[in-house]
Amino acid sequence: MKKFFALQVCALVLVSGALGGMFALTPVYDEVRSGIVLVLCLSCLKLEPKTNVVFTFETADARPHPEFVLENLSLGPVFLHYSGDACAGCDVMYPVVKDLFDIEFGKQDMFHSIINFENTSVAYIYVNIHHTVTELRDAQVVYDKDHIGGIPMFTIVTLGYDNGVVKPKYTSVYGTLTVYGSETDAQRLVFLQQLMRQSIEMYNQNKAGYPHHQ
Amino acid sequence: MKLQIKRLISQIILFFSANLGYPGYPGLKTGFCYPFFYCQACPSATSACPLRSLEQSVDKGSFSWRLLLFPLLIIGVLGVLTGRAVCAWACPIGLLQRGTGRVARKVKKTSLARKLGTHKAEKYFRYTKYVLLISLVIVTSYLIGFIFTDICPVGFLTGTIPVLILNPGKFVPNFFFPVALVIFVLFFILIFLIERGWCRYFCPVGAMLGPFNKISFYHIAVNAKECVHCNVCSYVCPMGIDVPNMHRDPECILCGKCVTACPNKLITFERMGR
Repeated sequence: MKKFFALQVCALVLVSGALGGMFALTPVYDEVRSGIVLVLCLSCLKLEPKTNVVFTFETADARPHPEFVLENLSLGPVFLHYSGDACAGCDVMYPVVKDLFDIEFGKQDMFHSIINFENTSVAYIYVNIHHTVTELRDAQVVYDKDHIGGIPMFTIVTLGYDNGVVKPKYTSVYGTLTVYGSETDAQRLVFLQQLMRQSIEMYNQNKAGYPHHQ
Repeated sequence: MKLQIKRLISQIILFFSANLGYPGYPGLKTGFCYPFFYCQACPSATSACPLRSLEQSVDKGSFSWRLLLFPLLIIGVLGVLTGRAVCAWACPIGLLQRGTGRVARKVKKTSLARKLGTHKAEKYFRYTKYVLLISLVIVTSYLIGFIFTDICPVGFLTGTIPVLILNPGKFVPNFFFPVALVIFVLFFILIFLIERGWCRYFCPVGAMLGPFNKISFYHIAVNAKECVHCNVCSYVCPMGIDVPNMHRDPECILCGKCVTACPNKLITFERMGR
């Protein structure tokens, strides 16, 4: 009886001590909050958001554009690729984007590169929500124009002309792009290429008026 | 106050506290994992599903010890204290099955149900939940990246359906939807046909909590010496346990129905001891 009670107490001390230690010494609470609770894996939700592809000046909740986007925008359009672990939709889109820009990187890497896309510089920034820094993770909320809060998400930031001022203009698309009529990888690639071309055209029309332009 | 009323109040309070995350009402999003089965995809969820954290910890050959240990330790603390009581006193899916139990109890009276319920294979079928936990949540996530949450019926009920209702026309089904819908329909039929059918045979979170019944402080004890084997306790048990012969059974969810039903008061809640 006493031995069994001692076993129970030991088990309780062990698990509660380990849990307390995890809270105190590791960032697990923030990892779960920012990586699971606040960001939905859209394939786990079994749904695809039905959003439009229109470029807009209005960021979500009128948040300011992140500084790293504004800096990269002086070189060319910025392509933000939001992905994550244990996300079937992200796995579908990962090779499509690699083909789009003809690049190689690990799914859990932090990857940033200036890419030559059809003779135009494009800043490609890959953000795996579960292996990234706060600044990049927070940018997802800024460009989540439809308040979906899910991954995969693709944002293209370019330049637009608004009442005499050249400003960042962007669009975000979500999921595996089936709602935009792209059922196969080839169709997804074509869809993203068209979106890139559209953004480059807008960029070239407005880059002279962009204050950060080099 | 009657024990079962107390349990109902506890279930309702915990259901609401699990749903304090709806933006603005009050929008509480924490970094905890639920100690029961509930989906973080629910628009009002406050925490993460423990299974999501587990499968993310071993996704495609990767290994994150923090995401693996965190839900296990949360479940472990509650498990050591109260065993599988979480299933009966806190889990929202348990609350749902409490609602469907009335139909299941009627079905239980049919001769076919009795025959199947007492079949010797039935007790082995209960190991399905352990197989599901290890194979679908851990092994397939590790080896091929197939994820249980993509087809999870509880996620469908608490995540997909509320999202569709709250955002009409904003979402369309993806390629997992038809499979998840079929599994969800089967889940729904199951909980109407078998009382606590999900908890008995399939719940991976129950599989994590169950073994803690062996060492938990809080447990149900039967005075076997004085028991007259009237089997009233076994009849009312929602988990279909042979209560008089039970000793810290991993299937026991500590709902206390046997404690209330025993005419000789030989079944009691115990806080200590074997």
